[in-house]
Amino acid sequence: MSNSSLRSMVRSPLVVVVTLVLLWFVATFLVFPNVNLLVGTFFPDGRFSGGAVEKLLSSERAMNSLWHSFLLAATLAVTVNVVGIFIVLVTEYFAIRGARLLWLGYATTLIYGGIVLAAGYNFIYGRYGFITNAVRNVFPDVDPNWFSGYFAVVVVMTFATTTNHMLFLGSSLAKIDYQTIEAARSMGASTVRILWRIVLPALRPMIFAVTVLTFLTGLGALTAPLVLGGQDFQTIAPIILTFSRSTGSRDLAALLAILLGVATIILLALMNRVEKSGVYFSVAKVATPLKKQPIRNPLANALVHVAAYALFVVYAAPVLLIVLFSFLESTAILTGTITWDAFTLDNYATVFGSTAVLRPFVVSVVYSALASLIAVVGLLFVARILQKHRNPLSTLIEYLLHIPWILPTILIALALLQTFDRPNALVGGNVLTGTTVLLLVAYVVVKIPFTLRLLKASFASVPESLEDAARILGAPALYTLRTVLFPLVVPTAAAITALNFNSLLDDYDAAVFLYHPLYQPLGIAIKASTEGENNLDSMSITFVYTVLLMIIMGLTMYLVYGRSRVSPSRRRRRRSGVSVPDRTAEVLVAADPQRPPVRSST
Amino acid sequence: MITYDNIEVRFGDHIAIPDLNLEVSQGEFFTLLGPSGCGKTTALRTLAGFIDPSRGEILLEGKPVTRLPSEKRRVGMVFQNYALFPSMSVGENIAFGLRVRKTKGAEVSRLVAEIADQVELTPEQLEKNVSELSGGQQQRVAIARALVLKPRILLLDEPLSNLDAKLRVQLREQLKNLQRELGITTVYVTHDQEEALTMSDRIAVFNKGVVEQVGTPQEIYERSATEFVCTFIGAMNRLSPELLDELLRGGASSLGAGRPSYVRPERIGLRPPQFAPGAVRVEGIVCERAFHGVYSTYTIDTHGSRIRALVTESGVPALAEGSRAEVYVDPASVLQY
Repeated sequence: MSNSSLRSMVRSPLVVVVTLVLLWFVATFLVFPNVNLLVGTFFPDGRFSGGAVEKLLSSERAMNSLWHSFLLAATLAVTVNVVGIFIVLVTEYFAIRGARLLWLGYATTLIYGGIVLAAGYNFIYGRYGFITNAVRNVFPDVDPNWFSGYFAVVVVMTFATTTNHMLFLGSSLAKIDYQTIEAARSMGASTVRILWRIVLPALRPMIFAVTVLTFLTGLGALTAPLVLGGQDFQTIAPIILTFSRSTGSRDLAALLAILLGVATIILLALMNRVEKSGVYFSVAKVATPLKKQPIRNPLANALVHVAAYALFVVYAAPVLLIVLFSFLESTAILTGTITWDAFTLDNYATVFGSTAVLRPFVVSVVYSALASLIAVVGLLFVARILQKHRNPLSTLIEYLLHIPWILPTILIALALLQTFDRPNALVGGNVLTGTTVLLLVAYVVVKIPFTLRLLKASFASVPESLEDAARILGAPALYTLRTVLFPLVVPTAAAITALNFNSLLDDYDAAVFLYHPLYQPLGIAIKASTEGENNLDSMSITFVYTVLLMIIMGLTMYLVYGRSRVSPSRRRRRRSGVSVPDRTAEVLVAADPQRPPVRSST
Repeated sequence: MITYDNIEVRFGDHIAIPDLNLEVSQGEFFTLLGPSGCGKTTALRTLAGFIDPSRGEILLEGKPVTRLPSEKRRVGMVFQNYALFPSMSVGENIAFGLRVRKTKGAEVSRLVAEIADQVELTPEQLEKNVSELSGGQQQRVAIARALVLKPRILLLDEPLSNLDAKLRVQLREQLKNLQRELGITTVYVTHDQEEALTMSDRIAVFNKGVVEQVGTPQEIYERSATEFVCTFIGAMNRLSPELLDELLRGGASSLGAGRPSYVRPERIGLRPPQFAPGAVRVEGIVCERAFHGVYSTYTIDTHGSRIRALVTESGVPALAEGSRAEVYVDPASVLQY
């Protein structure tokens, strides 16, 4: 079968061309840079050297960053689970008044994360933040740096990284067969007992998966420690960034990045193993949909409601304050006093009236749009080839395309930076470092695994009989692809493009290594606005950027996921008798529980 | 018309069909019947050209087509899930094959309208999206899409399995009528014996990739060639060795001792039969009686066998559970292997 599949691959000129281009891309941008980084670190002069390891062991700063990263990751594994499981239960499992409103509040992390979120918290609670200033107006002795270090990073990241819980744990909860709950109740089990013995055990594999993801997010955290960590709490990623800027410590940066990559690979492998360990959701042939459970104890019910709404405020406040601040003069924020006179549209006028101010926004939009389109259009053909032709070559290519999935973005960026800083034959003897191309390449590279997995899942969800039907009716392969398969896959492809676009728009992790000085993307501009008192004028502009980002991301999220949250009766009507249901949102949630479609970097 | 000549189909090391030999005549409604995984769909897909046999030849009208791609075999196929293209309207679905063949616009419209009329689809339904149709209507679209290209053979892969029981019976008749009207050679795959018995001119019963028997529905039912066919088609009682011995002692000299023996429930009488003077009487106890309206089924314990009898009871008092029963078995209706 494999051999015949290989033969049929070679027979199609389109497949041959796509495969050759793909092999070049994989070799040049996925394999070579990472191998180059490894060789450069451990074989600097062609012979093995443990110099980088010795340097690492003797650097107190580097060792501290390692310890801080593991401390942060371990802390987040607990705090994010506590908050994440609670918000999933109050929005999806318990009958809580206003659950839909609560969901919207908790879902703000879908449109607000990364550098934007870190900067937002900094502008509200940081040294020059509005809340800090307002409190210091009343209590001047309060330490202006109260919101920094380990505590601030944990708080910000806890509330910023519950997105995985909302998407994946929520989806798993919906798959629990309600009849198992009814059976437990009929045997006299209490609400707490049912939750503890039936519901949570069924969610165990997914809780484990999101815990690993949270741990990884903590381990590779860049922007939150960078903006809020202060001098005393720096983690691996910011240290890699610092070390990579000096030629003398680049090997140390590379070693730290490799360590981060190794930890990621080990944890993902562990997660895969656990994921394969059994069926937990439902063994019923027809699972009954979950019904929301009332909390019968009035006191417990009241307490859960209070906690749910308190969390709602925590989630929604930064977003609402940012919208409010975007209409305020920066002096009002700095002094911590808001009057009617302070409201203005000047911030928006500045952003839209000045090409220079709008430039980072435009640069990010162009980069994100180009990278998303290149990734999706290119992988549309690749996914189809890999799905249709199963042979050793296609399996190898598929594994290689998942390299960016197991490596942190900063490692990929660093590898590209150090590989293409000299003429390279694989790219026609050109130097790419310092050009506008390399960041685009990095963006395409980091989006490959997510895009490929979902496109493949989308192609796989199309029944094979459709293709057989087209074939027996006389349609050639390309005609079938164009008229039958693409129309079915396009909604998912469009959704992936939108999600990729969203996640790249405020990227900082890759941009900070690879951006062109004349084309500074948004993430870099926002980070610059958080650095010291001199940049405070740009704070108001950052608020406007953030509002614009939230509008774009909110709209995208609504188009992709919002439609899947229609009422069950509407969904039934839409699906009745449909041969191939529109599974875009389901594919996006279900196909990739290991890497979230929204950004997790903070 | 259709010939499977020594066909072998392999999937890796697994042999799905070891050696298939079949002949289907022009205009025949031929059914491939068998349980799940028996190779019937594989045989159909091999005929369609979706599966390459590892050995043997498929002949259509006497000409080998084994190496011919499916689109050149001039066969139409209706898939189990209909495989309608969800991004196209009903009309576009039916016209798909015509457009691939670059048929002129006016001709496409005429042919689509003609076939739609034949399968009872209205012009309004042609404008609809396939998702707006019921299961039965979707099935008709799938048939129209296959027939509009005027194929030599129509292949149907369990086309009724997704429908509810009532609709299935109704469409069964419509499908058979349409086939008769068009006179098209049809190969039908099903695991539903009732469907096969009521619709087919001839049936091939599959088991583990092997054809156990080919025959008319009546032959298959009444003169099942193998033990598998006998137990797969319809309800059947297996006689215990003690009961078989009792029948032999009662004068059933045509039966052989010690052989697996079966008799259908409707062939067992609880009163002296009028038209089977050679029937042997044995004694039994009624364990269970189930009333079905026109008939009743009795479960009777007799000589180590628990056998079921299907009897009509017009005007005759029913036997109570626990009562003694006289059971009449006609040796001519006993199947032995």
